[in-house]
Amino acid sequence: MDLELSREDIAFRDGVREVFTREIPEDIRRRNALSRTTHDDIVTTQRILNAHGLAVPHWPVAWGGKGWTPTQSHIYASELQRNSVPQPLAFNVSMVGPIIAEFGSEEQKRQFLPATANLDIWWSQGFSEPEAGSDLASLRTTARREGDVYVLNGQKTWTTLGQYGDWMFVLARTDPDAPRKQQGLSFLLLDMTTPGIERRPITLVDGSEEVNEFFFDNVRVPVENLVGEENKGWSYAKFLLGNERNGIAQVGTSQRVFADLAEAAAGIPTESGTLADDPQFRTSMHSARTTLLALEATQLRVTGASENGQASPVSSLLKMEGTKALQELSKLRMRAAGDDSMLLPPDGDAGESLHADDAATIAAAQYLNQRKLSIFGGSNEIQRGVIAKTILGL
Amino acid sequence: MNLEFNEDQKLLFETVDAAVGRGYPAGARGEATSTERGWNDDVWNTLAELGLTGLTIDGDHGGVGAGPVEVYATLEAMGKHAAAEPLLDGVFLPSWLIAALGTEEQAKQWLPALAEGATTIAVAHAEPRRPWGSAPSVAAAHSGDGSVVLSGVKAPVRHADQASTLLVTAVDGDTTGVYVVDAAAAGITRADGRSADWSRASQVEFAGTPATLLGTTGTDATAAWHTAVARARVAVLAEAVGLMESALGHTVEYLKNRKQFGVPLATFQALVHRASDMYARVELARSMALWATATVEAIDGGADVDLPAIADDAFVFVGDTATAVAEEAVQLHGGIGMTYEAEVAHHAARLAAITESFGGLAAARRRAVASESALRAPSALLNNA
Repeated sequence: MDLELSREDIAFRDGVREVFTREIPEDIRRRNALSRTTHDDIVTTQRILNAHGLAVPHWPVAWGGKGWTPTQSHIYASELQRNSVPQPLAFNVSMVGPIIAEFGSEEQKRQFLPATANLDIWWSQGFSEPEAGSDLASLRTTARREGDVYVLNGQKTWTTLGQYGDWMFVLARTDPDAPRKQQGLSFLLLDMTTPGIERRPITLVDGSEEVNEFFFDNVRVPVENLVGEENKGWSYAKFLLGNERNGIAQVGTSQRVFADLAEAAAGIPTESGTLADDPQFRTSMHSARTTLLALEATQLRVTGASENGQASPVSSLLKMEGTKALQELSKLRMRAAGDDSMLLPPDGDAGESLHADDAATIAAAQYLNQRKLSIFGGSNEIQRGVIAKTILGL
Repeated sequence: MNLEFNEDQKLLFETVDAAVGRGYPAGARGEATSTERGWNDDVWNTLAELGLTGLTIDGDHGGVGAGPVEVYATLEAMGKHAAAEPLLDGVFLPSWLIAALGTEEQAKQWLPALAEGATTIAVAHAEPRRPWGSAPSVAAAHSGDGSVVLSGVKAPVRHADQASTLLVTAVDGDTTGVYVVDAAAAGITRADGRSADWSRASQVEFAGTPATLLGTTGTDATAAWHTAVARARVAVLAEAVGLMESALGHTVEYLKNRKQFGVPLATFQALVHRASDMYARVELARSMALWATATVEAIDGGADVDLPAIADDAFVFVGDTATAVAEEAVQLHGGIGMTYEAEVAHHAARLAAITESFGGLAAARRRAVASESALRAPSALLNNA
């Protein structure tokens, strides 16, 4: 066993860290640490990363991928998170990009992949529907073939950052008579300027507007925007779900949140000293700390196994336990803030004097927002089902 | 960076797994612990033949001088079968203490016999109603002729009934030492009982019992003692991982096979999801135990890391998991899981004994929470600040 990065790994880490800390503006990283990242922050960051060859390292080499080892991929994801760099937009780099690269036509690859890597196109995900959440395959949005177009009708929801979307990848039903609900779905690319699309923002419990609903009323999608074969969309979506599990446990993010909270605690007064001396706080932090050590060690095991060419079935475990750990830390941050987290600025610019950038001020709102972690990307109940079926044979 | 067994370590695990598995069919722990020895003599002899009693002892003293990963592989395999042979308590821990503190003459006297599997040594530190971390109340006194005698009570002393020799912590004025006592020495009164996991334990009373200091006079043994015990606290986690994995396996099989309301229990999602949570916890605990083991290996290679602090962190995390997994294994079995015949009952009992060993989980948590490392940003790698 070996708990040290090799000299080559350290050189690699220092190289990516240099880009992350020198090239990505400090104010962008600070906002990201406070979950206040803007549209422009995400675009600026991804273009800088792309210019340094660091936006789409996991794509095929022909399209900008780096062919890294599993250890290098692990270091990359970890350093992004530890340095509060806004992640390259997942819809682009982890979802539609790999699908087009794997299943798209040459024309689609040329049209979309470079622009997707550089975030010249902002992609949205059109999967979930009001009646198709965890049970995605029961989705009802239809794409009826009429000559050289598909006519799209239906509704998508939970579309994260869809307000910025230039294009959307949509899973829609092209064969309503297929014997199984997983059959008869197709993967379509939709230009969001097409007539017939209506967006309705969804306000979340913390006041953020990061998700949306979309309504399609006879939206016409050219047939050349079908990816792969008609009615094979489910298999592409499943490829996507198995793709890109690096950083899924967000251990780097949790490590940073832990360090920030530990540092803040020394400046938070209690009746008898500071929070850093409070036994209850220290006990909770110690528990979080050991959980993060176990999670990171699990990631190292997974990375080591894939270095040896073995697939590891534990991504469900990492997703479930990693998000629980980050949620727990957001709760500790709120507890540390107490009612300092209960005076938020009003919407708009008027509240700048109320220190909206202060970690304590936003702690409760952030805690509420972080409930999403165990719901999106396959809820933790779905992950338990996956573990039971694929690992335990139950 | 790598937390995997190498090929030799894999082979070691498989060898121990196969050898111990033959001696421990279903229900064998109860049988083994009820023999006069308190374990299965055939399995013990096999372990000795495989060289495992000499695992932690260097080549000059009849052992093979293996490292912490080999200890991990061996003890995880032992745990997988809930085996009762006291490799850790009766051989590994005493060997670490003798190697760290003993003179060369003492090492020559005790280590080869341990390595052969010809004897076990009991480590006597715990005292009734006394914190593990406090200095012992057992006292060493010097007679006029220069000999030393011990007085006081130790309990529980694991496997004292079978040990040829005891290593006893005692104070001599302000100095804490580890003393060698012949199990048959004068002035020893032993009351034999059992631990909650059905292995043997005793209360041992010393009344002017002749003893020899391990090592040379004037050296305080405290630091070496803490290091050896920390090593043991990491090692026992491997056994806990093996026990937990086995308890989970039995629970999964039970959910598949046991029928109620005319259907297998695995039909009920509430139960299945609890098994999935058990799996997730066991894997995290395994990662933590492997990480702690790799850290001990790095320390042996010269890394500057506080071993007792690492042992506390790992012991607390794996111990909490062990408790939760044992509780769920019993609960998901229902009443049958509480019976002496049920394997998961023995898993649960042994896991409880592990969490309360070496001063117990609560004390480890107290130390860890009070330590400055409690608020230090965690990093599993040693050179990735």
